Amino acid sequence: MNSDGTAGEAADDADGEARALAYDALKAFEGRPAAQAGTGKDPVNEPMIRHWCEAMGDTHPAYTGADPIAPPTMMQAWTMGGLSGHEGRSDGYDELLTLLDGAGYTSVVATDCEQEYARALRPGDEITFDAVIESVSERKTTRLGTGHFVTTRMDIRAGGELAGTHRFRILKYAPARSKPKGKRPRPVINRDNAGFWEGVAAHRLLIQRCGGCGELRFPWLPGCNACGSPEWHTVEASGEGTVYSYVVMHHPPFPAFDPPYAVGLVELAEGVRIISNVIGVPYDKVRIGMPVRLDFQRMDEELELPLFRGLDGGAGVRADMGFTPSETAEAEAVSVAAEERAGEQLPVLEVPITRTLIVAGAIASRDYQDVHHDAELAKAKGSPDVFMNILTTNGLVGRYITDRFGPTAVLRKVAIRLGAPNYPGDTMTLSGRVETVATGPDGETSTVRVVGANGIGRHVTGTVTVTLPPGGAA
Amino acid sequence: MSVRTRDSLGGKAAIVGIGATEFSKDSGRSELKLAVEAVRAALDDAGLSAADVDGLVTFTMDTSPEITVAQAAGIGELSFFSRVHYGGGAACATVQQAALAVAAGVAEVVVCYRAFNERSGRRFGSGVQRREPSAEGAALGWSLPFGLLTPASWVAMAARRYLHTYGLTPDAFGHVAVTDRKYAATNPAAYFHGKPITLADHAASRWIVEPLRLLDCCQETDGGQAVVVTSVERARDLPHPPAVLTAAAQGAGRAQEQMTGFYRHDLTGLPEMSVVARQLWRTSGLAPSDVDVGILYDHFTPFVLMQLEEFGFCAPGEAAGFVAEERLPINTHGGQLGEAYLHGMNGVAEAVRQIRGTSVNQIPGAARTLVTAGTGVPTSGLILASDG
Repeated sequence: MNSDGTAGEAADDADGEARALAYDALKAFEGRPAAQAGTGKDPVNEPMIRHWCEAMGDTHPAYTGADPIAPPTMMQAWTMGGLSGHEGRSDGYDELLTLLDGAGYTSVVATDCEQEYARALRPGDEITFDAVIESVSERKTTRLGTGHFVTTRMDIRAGGELAGTHRFRILKYAPARSKPKGKRPRPVINRDNAGFWEGVAAHRLLIQRCGGCGELRFPWLPGCNACGSPEWHTVEASGEGTVYSYVVMHHPPFPAFDPPYAVGLVELAEGVRIISNVIGVPYDKVRIGMPVRLDFQRMDEELELPLFRGLDGGAGVRADMGFTPSETAEAEAVSVAAEERAGEQLPVLEVPITRTLIVAGAIASRDYQDVHHDAELAKAKGSPDVFMNILTTNGLVGRYITDRFGPTAVLRKVAIRLGAPNYPGDTMTLSGRVETVATGPDGETSTVRVVGANGIGRHVTGTVTVTLPPGGAA
Repeated sequence: MSVRTRDSLGGKAAIVGIGATEFSKDSGRSELKLAVEAVRAALDDAGLSAADVDGLVTFTMDTSPEITVAQAAGIGELSFFSRVHYGGGAACATVQQAALAVAAGVAEVVVCYRAFNERSGRRFGSGVQRREPSAEGAALGWSLPFGLLTPASWVAMAARRYLHTYGLTPDAFGHVAVTDRKYAATNPAAYFHGKPITLADHAASRWIVEPLRLLDCCQETDGGQAVVVTSVERARDLPHPPAVLTAAAQGAGRAQEQMTGFYRHDLTGLPEMSVVARQLWRTSGLAPSDVDVGILYDHFTPFVLMQLEEFGFCAPGEAAGFVAEERLPINTHGGQLGEAYLHGMNGVAEAVRQIRGTSVNQIPGAARTLVTAGTGVPTSGLILASDG
C-alpha cells in the first residue's frame, strides 16, 4: 500500500504479482451464503456501548441513561468474532477467501459499508445474522494493488426480528509492488536563513522584522529591502493565513510526491507570504482566499515542515463542493422550512487521528486485524503505519451527523466508501451538506452528503439518512 | 541612471548577421559544436570572417566558454567577453552588452551566442530537487520541500493569481498558443512546421501544472543560435540591411527573484519587464503603436499576456483579447512554443529577419520590432529598426 493509496476501482491492468483466476469460478460463489445462523457472542450490552461511545467521542443522549439504545453504526460490531474468531461463517465464504489467498491475493481492505437500520438495538437483545455473497468482481487494479472486490449482504436480527441490513465490500488483493518512496527535497539552509529552520524545529514560524524601519520580511535575508538596515529580530507568526495563490502539480512526477498535489502560496495574517502545502483539503478543492492555519508535520527522520491546514472546508469549498443534488421522489412533500434546509452546509468536525483513536475504535468494534493496532505488522504488509478501520470511520460519520442534528436525531441509513487511509498524526475534517429534506409521518428526513478529508486526500465519502421526529427540533 | 533617464546607446550598433543550427530533439553533437556552428553561420550571414571578431558574449548558463568557442571557431584574440546571468533573461542583454562594447570602442565585431542540448541533455522541464546553500540556492530553496520544483510550477503560481484577479479561465492562455503555432505551421525551420492547433486542442491538452496545460508550455530543443553585432557605420558596408539597435535595456524589479517572485506585489504582472519597457520607450521615443512586430518571450503563455500589458499594448487583464484579435503580429517565427526553445535567441534572429524583410511570415513594411527576453527573471529587451 502506498501512503495515499485509495481503494477506488481502476481499469483492469494486471501487474502479474498474483495468479489470474478464472472469473467463472469466482462468479460461482455469488449467491452462496457467507454466514448462516450466526449468533452474536454477546447480547447487546451497556459496557460495549459505552466503550464504543468513548472511542468515537459520541455523546448522543440516546446511547446512555435509563433506556439506552446502541449506536446504530455499531450494528456490525455485535456480529464480530473478536479475538477468538468467527463462528457461523459458512464454508462458501472461507472457500472463496482461501481461493483468493492461494492465488496471491493475500491482503484485505474494507472499501464500502452500507447499513440500513430497521429498528434500534437495546441491551439484552440477542443477535443472530445471516449473510450472502452478493457479488465478486472481475479482477481490478487499484492503487493498493490488484484483486477482486467481494460484496456481502448481512441481515441482522434481534430476537428474530429484522434489526437492519449491512452491505459490506472488501478488496482482496495482491499489494502493488511498493516503490521505495523518495524523500522530499531538503530545504536549502545557510547562515542567512538557519534561524527560520531552528524555529521550525521548535514549532515556531519566525518572520524577520527590520530593526531599522520595522518592516516584516519573508524570505529571510540579512538586510532590509525597504531601508537597507542590517538589524533585525524575529516575530512569531500567529499561524493564521489565507491562500493567496496555488497550483496543482501533475507532471513530471517526483519520487517524494504523488501527483496531482497542490502547492499553495499562503499569505500570513502578518502580511508576508510563504510557499507551503495546503493539507486537510483535497488537491482539487484548494481555492484562493481559503483560510488556513499553520501545522507542523514530520516528513521523515530529518525533515519537519510548516504546512497549512484548510479551515472549515474553506469558503471556496462551500461554493464548489462538486456535489450534484440528487433527485427526490418526495419532492412534493418538502415543506418550506425543509426547502430552506436543503443545500445547507453543516459545520465541520475536525477529528485528530491519534494512534489511540485508531486502536480504541478497532477494539470497540471488536476488529483485531493487526493493521489497526500493530505498527510493525502493518509496515510488514506495506502500510506506512496502522490505519483506521472502516467501522470506526462509520461510527465517526454517524456521530458527526447526530452531533449536528441534535439529541432527537435517529440514524436511518449510513453508506460510506473509503479512500485515502487515516494514519496516526493526521486530522480528518468531516463536512456535510444537506442534499434533500422530506417531511413524512416519522418527521423530517434528510439525506446528507458527507466527506471526510485528511492530509492525503478524501478518507471517506458517503450519504447518511437521518430523521428528526415530529416536534424534535434540531 | 538609465532606469530614470534616456540612454545614449540607441543608434550606435546594429545586428548584421544571424545564424543557427537546425532545431531538433537530439542534435547528436556537443553543445560546444552547436555553439561553434551557430557562430560561424552568423558570421557567414554577416559577410564577415572569424578574423573580424574581437568580442564574444553568451549566457552564464551556457556551457561553452567564450575562449573555447573562439578556439574552435578560428577566432583569435578577444578584447571583450562577457556573460549575462538569469537564464533566458539574458537573451536581449547579450546584444546590449555587445552594443555597449561597440559603442565604447572596446570591440568592433561581437558575436552573441547560445547553444545547448536542452532536450537530449539537461532538460529544464525535469525540475530541480536540490541546490547548494548559496544565496541563489537559498532563494529557490524556500519552494523545494513543498514540491514546487519546475519552471512551469513557478509560472503557474502567478498565472493562477492573474486568472483570479481578472476573472478569467485557463482558456485565456490558449490564444497565445494558437497564434504561435499558426506561424510555426508555415515556418520550415520550426519543429511544429505544418502542425497548427486550435483553441479546442489547447483546452483539451493535459494539465502540466494547473492552470497550465501542455500547450501553454514551450517545447524543449537542441540547437544553437548566434547573432553578430557591429557599429551602424560598418553595418552599412555589409550584405544585409542592418537591424539597428534603437534601444536596449535590462531590468530587475524591487525585491526581484528568479522565477520565485511570489513575495512581492500582486503577482499579476512582470515588474522587471516594466523596468525594461520604460527604458525602451524613453530611449527610443516610440510608443506601442509604433511597433510593427512583437517577439515576446514565450516559455509559458501567461507571461506573454503580462508582457503585452507591461509594455502598454493593452490594459491589465485585457491581453488575451488583444492577442485573439491579432492587433499586433507576435512571434512570427512560431515562438518558442512553435519554432524552438533557444532561450530567446531565436526570437532576436526573427526580429532581424522582419527588419530585413526575409521572414517566412513577413509582416509587410515592418520597420520596427520589439524583442524581449526571459520572463519571471531579471530580463532584457530590444527595439530594432531599419536604418534611416
